[in-house]
Amino acid sequence: MSETPLIVLDRVCKQYGTTPVLRDCSLTVARGEIVVVCGPSGSGKSTLIKCINGLEPYQSGSVRFDGEEVGARTTDLPRLRSRIGMVFQSFELYPHMTALRNVMLAQVHALKRPRAEARARSLDLLARVGLADRAEAYPADLSGGQQQRVAIARALALDPIAMLFDEPTSALDPEMINEVLDVMTGLARDGMTMVVVTHEMGFARKVANRVVFMDEGRIVEDRPSEAFFGAPVTERARVFLSKIIAH
Amino acid sequence: MHYQFDWSQVWQHRDLIFDGLLVTVALSVASLVPTLIIGMLIGTLGASGSRAARTAAGLYVEGMRNVPLLIHMYVWYMALAFLRLPPFACAVLGLTLYSSAYVAELVRSGIGAVPRGQARAAAASGLRPWQALLLVVYPQALRIIAPSLASLASQLIKDSSLASVIAVAELSYQAGAIEGQTFRTFEVYITIAVLYLALVLLVSFAIDRIPGLRDAPSVGRIADA
Amino acid sequence: MLEALLPEALLPEVIRQNLPFLLAGLAMTVRLAAIGIVGGTLLGLLVGVIRYARVPVLSPLAALYVEIVRGTPLLVVLFICYFAIPALLGYRTSAVNAAALGFVLFIAAYLAEDVRSGLRSVPPGLARAGLATGLSTVQVFRLIVLPQALRRIIPPVFSQYVRLFKFTSVASVIGVRELTGSALLVNAREFQPVVILATVALTYLVLCSTLSLVGRLLYARLSVRT
Repeated sequence: MSETPLIVLDRVCKQYGTTPVLRDCSLTVARGEIVVVCGPSGSGKSTLIKCINGLEPYQSGSVRFDGEEVGARTTDLPRLRSRIGMVFQSFELYPHMTALRNVMLAQVHALKRPRAEARARSLDLLARVGLADRAEAYPADLSGGQQQRVAIARALALDPIAMLFDEPTSALDPEMINEVLDVMTGLARDGMTMVVVTHEMGFARKVANRVVFMDEGRIVEDRPSEAFFGAPVTERARVFLSKIIAH
Repeated sequence: MHYQFDWSQVWQHRDLIFDGLLVTVALSVASLVPTLIIGMLIGTLGASGSRAARTAAGLYVEGMRNVPLLIHMYVWYMALAFLRLPPFACAVLGLTLYSSAYVAELVRSGIGAVPRGQARAAAASGLRPWQALLLVVYPQALRIIAPSLASLASQLIKDSSLASVIAVAELSYQAGAIEGQTFRTFEVYITIAVLYLALVLLVSFAIDRIPGLRDAPSVGRIADA
Repeated sequence: MLEALLPEALLPEVIRQNLPFLLAGLAMTVRLAAIGIVGGTLLGLLVGVIRYARVPVLSPLAALYVEIVRGTPLLVVLFICYFAIPALLGYRTSAVNAAALGFVLFIAAYLAEDVRSGLRSVPPGLARAGLATGLSTVQVFRLIVLPQALRRIIPPVFSQYVRLFKFTSVASVIGVRELTGSALLVNAREFQPVVILATVALTYLVLCSTLSLVGRLLYARLSVRT
C-alpha cells in the first residue's frame, strides 16, 4: 500500500450563482481512515463529499483521488467513479429493477463483468448485508433499512477502494437505523476507507478516526474523534453537539 | 423548388377567410359552453359515491369518446336528418357530446385529486354536501385541471375544423372553397394553419392570465386529453 | 379471415351485402393506424429525447415542429400533406401515402411531449446514483432514465394511440377508403344512414375500447411502484 493519502481536497471553492457553498475546504483522508463529516444543515457537507467523485463541479481548488485530479478534463470520470462507492440519503435504488438487478447493473455495464459472475457477486453481497432472501424483491417492497442495505451492496459490488456515505440514515425510521449502521461498522472493521456525512454521533464516536465539523461552507474543525468529542474547540461545534446530543 | 408563390389570391379572398374565422370562433364558443356544463355534471357523477352514477358516467364517457368526432358529425347530419337541424347545430351537438366526455374524465380525476380530508373537514364544519362540493372541492379541482382544461379548449377549436364535412362554412371549409377557385394550395392551407395556430395560442395566452389559475398549486397535469 | 369472426347472420341486411367492401375499409383503417402508431412512436421518441437532452440547434427545431403541429387541426395537416407539400416540392402522392405521412407527423408531435415529460419526471437522484457507480451519461440514460420514463407514460401514450385510431376516419375527407370512407360510399348507394353509421360507430367503439384496455393491462404489468 502506498503512502500517499487516498483523498486530498485542497482549497476547494464552489458557489451557486453568487451564493458560496464551499469556501476554501481542505481535507486529507489516508487509506483505511474513517472520517465523519458533520455540521448544521446547509453547511456544505453533502456538496463536499460529492466533489470527491465529481458529482458536484467546483470552481477553484483541487480534488485528487488516488493521485488523479477529479476536475481535470482528461479524467475518465466513469472509471474513477467505479472505484468509489457512494450511498445516498434517499437510497436512489432503481425502482424498475429487482434488488439483484440493482446490484448487478454497474458491474455488467461499467465494469463489463460477465453476467454470471456479476450475479454471483451480487448474491454474495446481498447475503453480506443480510438480504439473501430478498434478491428478487423490488425496491417498493423493501423497508427503508433494507433499501439502504441494498444500496450499500450496490456500491460495494464495484470493489471500491473508498466509500462515500451521504447521510445514509437520515431518511430512516429510528428502528431501522442500527441495521444500516451495523453494516457500515462491519465495513470499517474490514479496513475500508470511508467518508461519512452523518448526525449519528454514537457511530462517529465508536468508529471514526477523525471528525470534520463544517459550518457555512467552511471546515471549522478537523480533529481526531476522541479530541473532538472530548472538547470541541469552537463555540459553533459545542452548540451543535449539545443540540444533537440533547435530542 | 419550382413553385411560384402567389399570396395575392389569398389576399383577394380575405373576406371569405374572415367569415370562416368568425364561424370557427362562433362554433367553438357555442360548443365549449355546453361542453363544460355537461362535462362538469357527468364528471361529478363519475366521482360520486353511488356506484350506479359512476357506471352511468363511465358508459357516457366511453361511449362518446371512443367514436370518432367525424362519425358524431355524420350521425347528427345524416342519420338524424329527419330532425332537419341546420349544419351548424349538428356540428355543435357533435362537438359537445364528443368533447364533454373528455371534460367529464378530467373533472372526475380533478375531484379525485383533491384530498378526501377536505370534503370531510367541510362536512365537519357544518357545510351541506353541495356546499362542500361548490365551495371547497370544485375550486381546488379546477386549479388542478386548469392546464389540461386549457388544452382541451384548444383541442375543441382544432376539432371544429371537422364541421367542414357537413358543410358548415368555417375556416377549413372556406379554405377548400378558395383552393378550388384559385388552385393556390400551399398558400391557402398555410394561411389557415397559421390562423388556427394563432387562435390556439390566443386561447392558451388568455387562460394563462385568468387570475387565480396562474398561481395554481402545481399538482402536475393530469393525462393530456 | 375477418369474415370468419363475424356472426354474419346477426348483421343488418345492408351491412351483410356490402361486407367485403366495408371490411376492406376496416383493413385500411387498421393499416393506417398501425403505420401512424409505429412511425409516430419512433419519431416522437426521437423528438422527445432531442428536446429533453437540449441538443443544440436540433432542440429549438424540434420545439418549433411540436408547437406548430399541436396548434394545427389534423384535417389541415392532412390537407398540407396531400396538397400543399407535394405542390411545393413538385411531387405526386396518393391519398393513402399522404394520410400515412400526416398521421405520423401529427401524432409524433403529441407523443414527443409525453416522452419529454416522462423523461423529466424521473427523479434526478437516480441518474446521480447511476453516475456514482461509474456508468457513463449515455448508459445512465439508456439503462435507468429511459426505461422508467417509458413505463410512466404508458397511459398518456395509449390515449394518443386511441385518438389516432379515431382520427384515421379523417382520411376519408381526402378520399381514402378506410372504414368511414367506405361506409360513406355504401351509404351514397344504399342510403341507409342510420344502420350504416351505427354499425361504423360501434366498430370504432369496440376497437378503441380494446386498444385502451391493452394500454391499461400493459400499465398494470409494467408500471413502476415507488
